[in-house]
Amino acid sequence: MTQEVAGRVVTGRVVTTRRAVNRNQPSIWAFRGALSRRAQIGIGVGTSVALLLIWEAVARSGLVNTTFLPSPTTVLGALLTMIQKQSLLWHAGVSTLRVWIAFTLAAVMAIPIGIMMSSYRVVGAALEPIIDFIRYLPVPALVPLSIIWFGVGENTKLYLLWLGTFFQLVLLVADDMRRVPQEYIEIAHTLGANTRQTLRDVAFRAMLPGLVDNLRITLGWCWTYLIIAEIVAADSGIGFVIWTARRYMKTPEVMAGVVVIGVIGLVTDQLLRALHRRAFRYL
Amino acid sequence: MTQAYLEFHGVTKRFGDLDVVAQPFDIAVARNEFVVFLGPSGCGKTTLMRMIGGLDTPSGGEISLEGTPVGGPDHRRGMVFQSYSSFPWLTVAENVLFGMRYRKDLTEREKLARRDHYLDLVGLYEFSNAYPNKVSGGMRQRVAIARTLAAGSDVMLMDEPFGALDAQRREKLQVELRAIQRRDAKTIVFVTHDVEEAVFLADRVIVFSKRPARIMADIDITERLGAERPLDLRDTPEFFQLRTAVLRLLREAAGDEAGDEK
Ligand SMILES: Nc1ncnc2c1ncn2[C@@H]1O[C@H](COP(=O)(O)OP(=O)(O)OP(=O)(O)O)[C@@H](O)[C@H]1O
Ligand SMILES: [Mg+2]
Repeated sequence: MTQEVAGRVVTGRVVTTRRAVNRNQPSIWAFRGALSRRAQIGIGVGTSVALLLIWEAVARSGLVNTTFLPSPTTVLGALLTMIQKQSLLWHAGVSTLRVWIAFTLAAVMAIPIGIMMSSYRVVGAALEPIIDFIRYLPVPALVPLSIIWFGVGENTKLYLLWLGTFFQLVLLVADDMRRVPQEYIEIAHTLGANTRQTLRDVAFRAMLPGLVDNLRITLGWCWTYLIIAEIVAADSGIGFVIWTARRYMKTPEVMAGVVVIGVIGLVTDQLLRALHRRAFRYL
Repeated sequence: MTQAYLEFHGVTKRFGDLDVVAQPFDIAVARNEFVVFLGPSGCGKTTLMRMIGGLDTPSGGEISLEGTPVGGPDHRRGMVFQSYSSFPWLTVAENVLFGMRYRKDLTEREKLARRDHYLDLVGLYEFSNAYPNKVSGGMRQRVAIARTLAAGSDVMLMDEPFGALDAQRREKLQVELRAIQRRDAKTIVFVTHDVEEAVFLADRVIVFSKRPARIMADIDITERLGAERPLDLRDTPEFFQLRTAVLRLLREAAGDEAGDEK
């Protein structure tokens, strides 16, 4: 343990000389201070476990009705049975697939359009009012309309997901592009790059870290809309599983469904973050 | 005066209702001339450079290169920006190489050789693989200088390029820049606040008044000091006198209230 602490201090000194000046052992409460990756994970896991233990204790103590708040172990039990008997993993797969199809579609459209909006004022001026209007429409409000248009099949769900993410993403992409420093563009131009080269080699490259971050965040929103879509019209997917379980007041199953979504979200998010760190080492 | 290469014809510039250059403005720069702009902070030197580079357009008049009006930016006019930006996603070496990315007249091998040469010149060779935000401000500035030198434009616009460098590095680069300019027949427009640097480097020093900018003085340095600029020129009485004279002009240009807006 002492060795570890010493190791951390030394690395701290190499990376930022300023910090280590007159404190050999920086407090973990130092304002905007550093915290090792290992410590961060440890603390995160610690809080989560503590919360689960409290929850378990409360559920077992009989203070609350377990129909409303089943204990974590009960939920875990339900989760395992659901995997075995109700092909929960298949439902999870279906949901994930829907999210990725709709999200990819939204991203593939939003990225070029967003870039154009910031690169050419005309495009921005033409599209911004429409996009801003649609963006503020809550997705649930559009459910009836999309059922009228697409029926209750797979298309409705994809459409709703696309609707929820595309318009948000377009504006985020446009913003990422707008934030690329004008000077980068000017450097490229004075080095003889034409517009296409400047966009590809400089502007796009400069906005990429922000873009990947925004994709990660919107992917999370996509899951929100997925559940709405699956509750309204589906015979498969996690939303469907949760909604069916609710009908029979099977709270553990409802919670198990929620947990699955949480786990998928957490894993995807961490994977994308890791990818971000790896791809943008220079940040 | 030799045949004009880069010319300002009656140039004026205003941003909204702020006059940067009010009186129409004529300067003729010869090919292979090293011109230094001196003037109080905020008088419009960067704006003039940007107009030459095609990044800003004059409100009136015209700037021409070899007789044709300059349009948007292109590879003939390279620029070292006052803020020394480099691309954060490229390493130091890749940034320098990027300077030649759109040059079709160089082979890949020549580009790499030039990259290494200029990295070495600015003393960044050992930091080749570092990313710009991991090196110091002065080093970032040298990345920008190396990139522009490597790009090898005919006209180099350098806006306070040596500002953040230590004295030795600065001297070394001054000597080198002067040599490059003479050897490769470059036309250089250079902005600095350092009068000694101005006199040491320039064929010609142009002193501007505070905003709205007017030309206060146009001093032919080469006529007085010759074209060769060995480092020990600085220790000669001629150099010292000229430096003092330019400094006095600059003081007048700034006005009695010392005119610095910083
Ligand atoms: N894009 C712009 N819009 C409005 N005003 C501007 C713009 N660019 C420059 N100015 C103004 O023009 C004037 C001249 O600016 P400039 O940057 O050319 O000065 P400078 O001589 O380079 O100063 P310094 O020596 O401090 O770099 C300043 O008053 C500045 O505020
Ligand atoms: Mg300036």
